[in-house]
Amino acid sequence: MRAVVKDGIGVFTPQGFLDGDTSHVFLTMDDMEATVKLNVCMILVSLKKVIFFNRNGLDTFVKLFEKIKAHSHIKVGFCDYDIKKFNAINNFYKDEIAFSLFASYDIAVLFASNLEHKQLNVLIYNMDKSQRSAMAIELHDNGHNPIITQSKEEFKKKKNLEKTYDIIIEHTFLGQMGANIATRVTGNAIIYTVSSFLDAEVSNKFDITYHTNSLNVGFRLFIFDAYKVVSMNIHALNFFSKLSASAAEYNATICFVGLTFEKIQLSFKETLEDSGILFFDQMDDILGNKKLLNELGASSAANGKLKRVLNKGIVSELPQFIEATVATIEMMTNAKAQKDSAKVDKIIIEDTTDKIASSIGFYGDIDGMVILVFPREIAKKACSLLIGEETNDMEQILDTLAELVNIVGGKIKTLLSEEHINVSITLPRTYNDIDSLLEITQERKGVQVDLSFSDDKFLFFLTR
Amino acid sequence: MITNQKINNFIEKIPPAPKALQVTIALLNQGELIKAAQIAETDNALKSYLKNIVNKPIYGFRNEVTEVSQIFGILGVSSSQQTVYNYMMTLLSPDKWILFNLNSVKFYELQAKLSRRWKTILNHLNITDIDIESAVTLLPASIIVADALFGEKKDDVELIRGTTNIDLNTILSRLCNNDLFDICEKIAKRWDMPPKIAKIVQASSGIKPSDNNELNTLGKWMHLLLFYELSQPMFIESGLNDFIEFNVEYVEDIYEEFATLIGIES
Repeated sequence: MRAVVKDGIGVFTPQGFLDGDTSHVFLTMDDMEATVKLNVCMILVSLKKVIFFNRNGLDTFVKLFEKIKAHSHIKVGFCDYDIKKFNAINNFYKDEIAFSLFASYDIAVLFASNLEHKQLNVLIYNMDKSQRSAMAIELHDNGHNPIITQSKEEFKKKKNLEKTYDIIIEHTFLGQMGANIATRVTGNAIIYTVSSFLDAEVSNKFDITYHTNSLNVGFRLFIFDAYKVVSMNIHALNFFSKLSASAAEYNATICFVGLTFEKIQLSFKETLEDSGILFFDQMDDILGNKKLLNELGASSAANGKLKRVLNKGIVSELPQFIEATVATIEMMTNAKAQKDSAKVDKIIIEDTTDKIASSIGFYGDIDGMVILVFPREIAKKACSLLIGEETNDMEQILDTLAELVNIVGGKIKTLLSEEHINVSITLPRTYNDIDSLLEITQERKGVQVDLSFSDDKFLFFLTR
Repeated sequence: MITNQKINNFIEKIPPAPKALQVTIALLNQGELIKAAQIAETDNALKSYLKNIVNKPIYGFRNEVTEVSQIFGILGVSSSQQTVYNYMMTLLSPDKWILFNLNSVKFYELQAKLSRRWKTILNHLNITDIDIESAVTLLPASIIVADALFGEKKDDVELIRGTTNIDLNTILSRLCNNDLFDICEKIAKRWDMPPKIAKIVQASSGIKPSDNNELNTLGKWMHLLLFYELSQPMFIESGLNDFIEFNVEYVEDIYEEFATLIGIES
């Protein structure tokens, strides 16, 4: 079975009946590993479409969860169940639950670490005090505002207050969470969360590929949330120094927030400062200060000293990129898509009003970024197969555009692999206005191709 | 990806039911088992299919049954008609499946299991209508249609379904305003199957409940039965488990009854 990967979460959705005879066929270790390779931070089995399960049925999944956790630090568990199913799982496993339970996918998303989170007011209830605290900490780390209720009565009372909370969490359980370095995106800054004692393990837990890709797609400010760091040794010091040196090549900045030097040698701080790392007491000192953000490069990726140029390798594959885009649009719309014109230059968007965009990076044998720019209404048309119904919900449109560009990315990967060129693709990124796109691309040269389907025009831009 | 033109081409290519089959069904409808068996004997492919399917373990016969007259005699009028319709569906099935990991053995197995359990359900519901018993034979046509329409686009389908949780029925419906079950209905019309059959199968899609209470209830039982079978290892491995969406809410009110009848232990 194949997982649907969205928001950095891989979800398997078996349907029907799960027992000991069937669950090992629904999901295998190969399926799990293929999903891990897609850089997910969480793997879940949705029980939404399951009408019957027993302990034997779930055991197969639980064993796979354990194997995955043992070598990849990914969060694992079940989601999308009702109270009856939640109680059944608790009865089966009682105090031995080592996986997570998220009542809905939306709740799971709050605990995913590599997402661009909006700050949400989240009401939490769990009978177990340590669970309540663990959830609050995780949510806070992910940029939300958790509100803990101490009793069922308090929860019921608060739950009924309309529009006070963006999301309500109950019937949810946090198993052992992943031990990797959590990542989240705020605006154009990427925040990594580190904790406890930092030693040589930090280099194993840090996703260097994700970091490099983030640099490549234009992120210039990286913040280590280090409030919970107790101390670090020389191996961690070396790691951060090297990381900062490599970031400097992109004119990117690395900061530490909340790191105290009570148990860390002061000479370490000097070494880190010498390598270009900045220190702040509070996260708001950076994120709340727009002028400082500008100086640090978080509002403009165009400051980069390293202007990566198109090379022969990428230009010679241009037909594959165009074909992937055209084929995807044709597949989604049943309309003929065509190339109108092409030129090599900086991106030129004549009328920027009511336009949205999405980009996806690729890296491997060749690297670069594909950007699609659509008038909003045309984007809706292009995504109609995925959206399904008429909507003006901007968030939904952008989400779907991200799915579309993800499909383009998948198609590019397939077409290039036919020529023995291996690439991986990053998570897609969306832009709800053109200004934020131009901050990333305006200084970069690339190939701009005007495309259309059913006389509706959109723009393709390939750059590095 | 898939257009109405492609759907129309598929429908147009469906051959009319062979003469021998038409006569066999007409005779079965009149209760003329012996005459029907004599006509069926003249169609070697039908004869071979009947022998193959009724000797599967799910039919529970101790000794091998070889003669068509014997087969019809044991099955009775309604189950004989059901089996002949099952054979008609196999005429639509491809020599080589592309989208699904199926072959004729697995497909016949699915037909046999659906048919026997549908019979059990109808007995439980005290329904003896010959057309209702045959309704289940149209259900696997949705699988044949899905393979025929999406087979060429297997990679594209996988790309889309790796990005968003969408079933083949929804993709088809959004692209063409026609879903797999609408196409099944067209097949039923082309083969002059009684209209009731298509109505039950439409309801069994789980997304188009029937206004008629009886047909809607039958649609629920058929939807749940389909997913019971598609949750069996052989059909999960074939890639059938999620070709359409299982609507749990639609069947919730009959689930306990179904579980008791089929013998599902909690």
